[in-house]
Amino acid sequence: MLLFRSEEHLAAWLEQRGLSQGGTMTLEQCWLLAKAWYSDKLDRDWRRKTLDEAMAAFAEIGLEGDFWDLTKR
Amino acid sequence: MTAPQAEFDTNVRLAVFHAAAGSGSTPSPPELAHQLGTSLTEIDASLDRLAADRVVVLKPGTSDIWMANPFSAVETGFEVSAGNSRWYGNCIWDSLGILALVKREGFVETPCPDCGELLRVDVARGELQPSMGIVHFAVPAAHWWDDIGYT
Repeated sequence: MLLFRSEEHLAAWLEQRGLSQGGTMTLEQCWLLAKAWYSDKLDRDWRRKTLDEAMAAFAEIGLEGDFWDLTKR
Repeated sequence: MTAPQAEFDTNVRLAVFHAAAGSGSTPSPPELAHQLGTSLTEIDASLDRLAADRVVVLKPGTSDIWMANPFSAVETGFEVSAGNSRWYGNCIWDSLGILALVKREGFVETPCPDCGELLRVDVARGELQPSMGIVHFAVPAAHWWDDIGYT
């Protein structure tokens, strides 16, 4: 996952490569996700999130729909 | 997995992540064996289990750590700084994750893939500071682990 300067820069980059847009989020959403995933990783009792916990964490910051659905294979 | 094995894997995980958080580099299997007072065979087996559980990613065909998410063991386009400490993240999510994990003020620098301008994202007092940029995921979430090197 990459950070682009703006929507316009993302659109130009995708067009140049003939790629379609994937999923986007704001930096604030990304920071919330970063905290949810990693802030406890030095704890002895840390464990990986279950699928349901991961999807609940996505939903909590507004990431919903097919792109963020971990069961959609 | 037996309880002692789970405990051992936890010790290996903590050794890896504390080293990465402290020095910015992940330990090699021989270093882990030395630190934990065990054999290389035991460390290799533990790293394989941690990789199977997606706690670390190994360099293909080896027991060497490539990623201990959020840390990257190799240089990437995502440089994370806090004081005199430097790390590499695997992506923008992981790079911010490093600052969340070490709980320090710092910043992430990465070039915009389109124009190459260096973008900087700051975290201070536990909060993201106003920053320019939009995050793009090329691959749907359910497929991230198909090729974790490309998401």
